[in-house]
Amino acid sequence: MKQSTLSQFKEIWFVDFEFSSPPGGRSVPICLVALEMKTGKTLRTWQDDLQYMTEPPYSIGPDSLFAAYYASAEMSCHLTLRWPMPENVLDLFVEFRNLTNGRQTPCGNSLLGALAWFGFKSIDASEKDGMRDLAIRGGPFTWDEKIALLNYCESDVQALHGLFLQMAPFIDMPRALLRGRYMKSLAKIEHNGIPIDTKILNQFRKNWGVIQENLIKKINNEYGIFDGLTFKRTFFENWLKKTRIPWPRLESGALDLKDDTFREMARTFPEVAPLRELRVSLSQMRLSKLAVGKDGRNRCLLSAFSARTGRNQPSNSQFIFGPAVWLRGVIKPNSGFALAYLDWSQQEFGIAAALSEDNLMIEAYLSGDPYLEFGKQAGIVPSHATKDSHRAQREQFKACVLAVQYGMGAESLAQRLGQPVIYARELLQLHRSTYKKFWEWSDAAVDHAMLYGKLWTVFGWTIHIGKNPNPRSLRNFPMQANGAEMLRIACCYATERGIKVCAPIHDAILIEAPLEELHSKVAAAQEAMSDASDTVLDGFKLRTDVKIIRYPDRYMDRRGVKMWETVWDIVERIANG
Amino acid sequence: MTNQKKMPKTSDAEKENKIFDLTKLRLSQDFSETAGVKKVILTIPTRKPGRQDFFRVHLSDDYYLETAVLELKEERETYLIDPDLWHELPGEIIPKALFTTINRQGVLTIWPVRLPGPDGRHDSWNRSALEAAQMAKKNWIRMAANMSLGAYEIYKAVAELPEPEWPDMTFQKIIEIAFKDNFIRRPDHPVIRQLRGEL
Repeated sequence: MKQSTLSQFKEIWFVDFEFSSPPGGRSVPICLVALEMKTGKTLRTWQDDLQYMTEPPYSIGPDSLFAAYYASAEMSCHLTLRWPMPENVLDLFVEFRNLTNGRQTPCGNSLLGALAWFGFKSIDASEKDGMRDLAIRGGPFTWDEKIALLNYCESDVQALHGLFLQMAPFIDMPRALLRGRYMKSLAKIEHNGIPIDTKILNQFRKNWGVIQENLIKKINNEYGIFDGLTFKRTFFENWLKKTRIPWPRLESGALDLKDDTFREMARTFPEVAPLRELRVSLSQMRLSKLAVGKDGRNRCLLSAFSARTGRNQPSNSQFIFGPAVWLRGVIKPNSGFALAYLDWSQQEFGIAAALSEDNLMIEAYLSGDPYLEFGKQAGIVPSHATKDSHRAQREQFKACVLAVQYGMGAESLAQRLGQPVIYARELLQLHRSTYKKFWEWSDAAVDHAMLYGKLWTVFGWTIHIGKNPNPRSLRNFPMQANGAEMLRIACCYATERGIKVCAPIHDAILIEAPLEELHSKVAAAQEAMSDASDTVLDGFKLRTDVKIIRYPDRYMDRRGVKMWETVWDIVERIANG
Repeated sequence: MTNQKKMPKTSDAEKENKIFDLTKLRLSQDFSETAGVKKVILTIPTRKPGRQDFFRVHLSDDYYLETAVLELKEERETYLIDPDLWHELPGEIIPKALFTTINRQGVLTIWPVRLPGPDGRHDSWNRSALEAAQMAKKNWIRMAANMSLGAYEIYKAVAELPEPEWPDMTFQKIIEIAFKDNFIRRPDHPVIRQLRGEL
């Protein structure tokens, strides 16, 4: 960052709050310390005073810079205190992630880890843990505890200042502020949370042990792959033979039982879906960990910029949009409200088309059905083909297009299609020859990464190539990471335009609105998403799909319907004795 | 970049905040500007197209040569002979047409097809191969030997496949690469000495 960039700010404030945050609840500020870099002025404020302040004690206007470490936490304190948000937010956590994304960070990505990366030592980690525990415990605090917390908070602010001095040469300021803008938006989203049908959730929680046993029994009657509560590989192998499902194997020859494999196979073979749901429910789902506050809303740290692509990576067990899709049925709008789930149609295809400027691919996206259009452009189906007249072929084109997006090889595609490898190879070859410009662009991205050691998105989110680069994920990076940029910008636009966003989910947002405002809010959210795609793709707008859930309906993911019905059936039987 | 119209942003905050003029913050995603990578072809096989390979023959006569080659059947090797040496190898060299071919995977090859002898006689295998080569100038075809027919059978792709992308290379360069280790220019070349029984 150039000195001239810094000089545009009259004041540069390093800010840290200590706060308690009950599971699923909003942040409750305990104390605040702020340090102004140019004057050295330090502010120490305890919660007794904070609650009477109508605005922050530091400047937040366009001439000031607000710097924090994981700034959405500080922004959530602003929201709790009903303070306006700073104009310019610089999040050193996000910038540290961007600086080291793809590299090893031996001490992690915390403030201490970032300082250690630059060869500095802050306070002792155990002391930090002790102070954090004290903040989480909450009040009342003794006088000594207050002083200790304020001192600890001040030490973090000083550490933040030190880190800033180290990081300043690496910070790409205007784009860093764009990322900071997202952290403001994310704080609003976390503050809103997702409405949950707590009555049903509590029923599930209360009876979870019995539900699990019954689920296994019920599923096992059909599949016969459990022995008691244990999933048996040999039984599963027998079931696969019986159903003639070609299951992927590891190099060792053993069945590949990773969740990703189950998820992938469930897409091709719907009969696998209940099994996958059950396995996820048994292994990963801890209903007690789902973070639901006293106000009946799911809130958790959305862990912005944690994935290599820059996507959020919230805890699977705390976030309702974790892997157990059936459980999303507990999402339910409150009386008088509705939820809308908006996602971009074929987002990755659209991004690939626009960024590579492959005109045929752009045409395919604009046709509304890129899969069928690919078949037409490749000359496999006639130009008058429709979704109905060429359903089976369209499915194959779809599988091929998705395979390219996932970086799948001919063998995996063949498996997915249930066709010989030579057929899959030819299909992939047709994709290459039809979308030549896309492939040239994609090859160049991988070449660039391998030559220069990094790739970046339109707004500078960067992946550094580590010691063992994975060309498949590098090839996919421009689509995934620019998709993440798009979602972040959509969240900014939507929240800044007064839309109540409950959650960002991969390529979608969940919004909430009173029933009487639903139509206008959905239209505004669609416009925000369209504008975000326009911004990232330099004038190319992606379409959005909307699913509306009006009270008293509940959210339901079609992949989880069967499991939800099964669980619900068990719960009813338990209730009826 | 497309016919889609840009919509005005609706938020006042967005309009007022010049630091967030996102159009000025966009970074290029055209990595080819910097990657600067070009495929270098170092190997060009000399062989007839595989029976599963759909291929094309270069339409231009500039990518075609009638010459004499030496074939070592056991080693499955083909040598290009300098015309000055043809007289050194009577009965060994065979007149062949060298076609430049490319398959659907973009693999460039040199395909030698035997030409009729001075008497104009031509067996059905080579006649059908020459016919296939002519057809492959305008069509994606594959050819497979049919032993009972005694000739190659030709299969023409029905689908409208795109035209091949020929690498930017002269025929001279292609031949140099294809025969880089198999070009006989001197009478004391080991292959000639072997044929004379000197090795």
